[in-house]
Amino acid sequence: MASHTYGKTLLKIDNVSLEYDGRPILKNVSAEIKDVIRPGCTTGQVVGFLGPSGIGKTQLFRIVAGLNPPTSGRVTINGVDRPVQAGQVGVVAQDYPLFEHRTVLSNLLLAAGQKENDSKVAHDKVMQYLTEFELSDKARLYPVQLSGGQRQRCAIIQQILCSDHFLLMDEPFSGLDLLMLERTCALIQKVANMDELNTIIVVTHDITAAASVADHLWLMGRDHDLNGNCLPGSHIVETYDLIERDLCWEPNIITQPRFMEFVREVKDRFRGL
Amino acid sequence: MNDAIHLFAPNKVVSRNTVRWLVTFQLLMLVAIWVFSPTVFLPKPGEVFQSLHDLWFEGLGSELITSFYLNLQAIALSAILSLLLAYATVIPFFRPIVALLSKLRFLSMVGLTFFFTLMATSGHELKLFLLVFSVAVFFVTGMAEVVAAIPKESFDLARTLRMGEWRVVYEVVVLGQADKAFEVLRQNAAMGWMMLTMVEGISRSEGGVGAMLLNQNKHFHLSAVFAIQLTILVLGLGQDYAIGLLRKICCPYAELTLERK
Repeated sequence: MASHTYGKTLLKIDNVSLEYDGRPILKNVSAEIKDVIRPGCTTGQVVGFLGPSGIGKTQLFRIVAGLNPPTSGRVTINGVDRPVQAGQVGVVAQDYPLFEHRTVLSNLLLAAGQKENDSKVAHDKVMQYLTEFELSDKARLYPVQLSGGQRQRCAIIQQILCSDHFLLMDEPFSGLDLLMLERTCALIQKVANMDELNTIIVVTHDITAAASVADHLWLMGRDHDLNGNCLPGSHIVETYDLIERDLCWEPNIITQPRFMEFVREVKDRFRGL
Repeated sequence: MNDAIHLFAPNKVVSRNTVRWLVTFQLLMLVAIWVFSPTVFLPKPGEVFQSLHDLWFEGLGSELITSFYLNLQAIALSAILSLLLAYATVIPFFRPIVALLSKLRFLSMVGLTFFFTLMATSGHELKLFLLVFSVAVFFVTGMAEVVAAIPKESFDLARTLRMGEWRVVYEVVVLGQADKAFEVLRQNAAMGWMMLTMVEGISRSEGGVGAMLLNQNKHFHLSAVFAIQLTILVLGLGQDYAIGLLRKICCPYAELTLERK
């Protein structure tokens, strides 16, 4: 197992419940993400958030992003005793929304300016990210002129520039071919490892892809009664620590038999939800 | 040859050159129909252009300026009012008010003219009020629908970028829908010319092409009526082009994804 320790709690979901018209959607959801510290290298955190369709992933996603308040419980970040606010956690939605009326550069400057008061510093930061993500030559283009991959990178940069190291990604692997899937996985890891505190939560149905980039997996589901009927209200039914299982930070991990065995295990658990 | 076949197939994009040929051909056909039409009530092009010449020396130019100025004032006022009202629909308090105003587009001017006469201090003001009202009820309907159709994701994007709700409104509703606002303006500015005749007919003291048109129509001078209509059409097309150009300059992103540009 790779040498590592855990630092402070970066994100905490504390007994979050959500009801709509008296109908429970989420029930006492609790989870936390801690800073993973590896000697000699900068390592961010990546959590894969899995669950069947309609289980309430999007609802929890919106609560963690600070876009919707929960009925009870709260989400805190960086140990601050205050519920998360919109803007503290970046959100990269499935279709990579950007302001269509602004150019790539203008989109990014706007985001950087929201967090950085010094416009020169904000500009330099944007230019650095554009170079880092190979988008320098696209700076003057409008979002509609970008390819899917370029748009994805632009949306990620926009959110990183503005958030406090947190990024929620909704279905980033959806509809991608094998090559694009590998690129997206590499991109997620690259973004995560840009800063020790960078934390990415990937909401997805793709168990293999999630397991290949994540250090932890959260599996969301519902409890069942004695007759096997689903009880209302979802919560995180299983947490997998991929570091403990020695399935993390290893190149070509997906080709390893133990990784395949792990994916099979998660899939079996998934089917039982 | 392929382009010619494509002219009759659905969703085909044809070259600019083919479009030019097509438009020329269709215009020629229109002129031919006009020239060779057996209808006695339809004045021939020669008669229309002769009337245009005569009307010009009778002061058509100055009447056009009067009407253009009135229409411009009305468009500007109704655009400002309608945009403010449509943007105000982000605040729940204003939604029923805007919905009610939108319903007024079904009303006829008859009867309402009386109220506007009481409010106005001059003939010009009366015409302006009538025109602003007539255009604004349609403008505000179109623009309020544009605002209502903004997807939740756009608002969420702004919120995730730490924007306060007023800034969200400015970024997503005002700036983000500017291209659509221009389009709504374009359609409603055209409506202004359509309403002009009626409005100028109510208060003829200031003149204008509308009053001129009604006078010619009253005496059944069809060639003069056609000449004035043709002038209004050319002016309207110019106005339409100018707003379209303004949209292109201010919102260059708006046409980037269109199949037919």
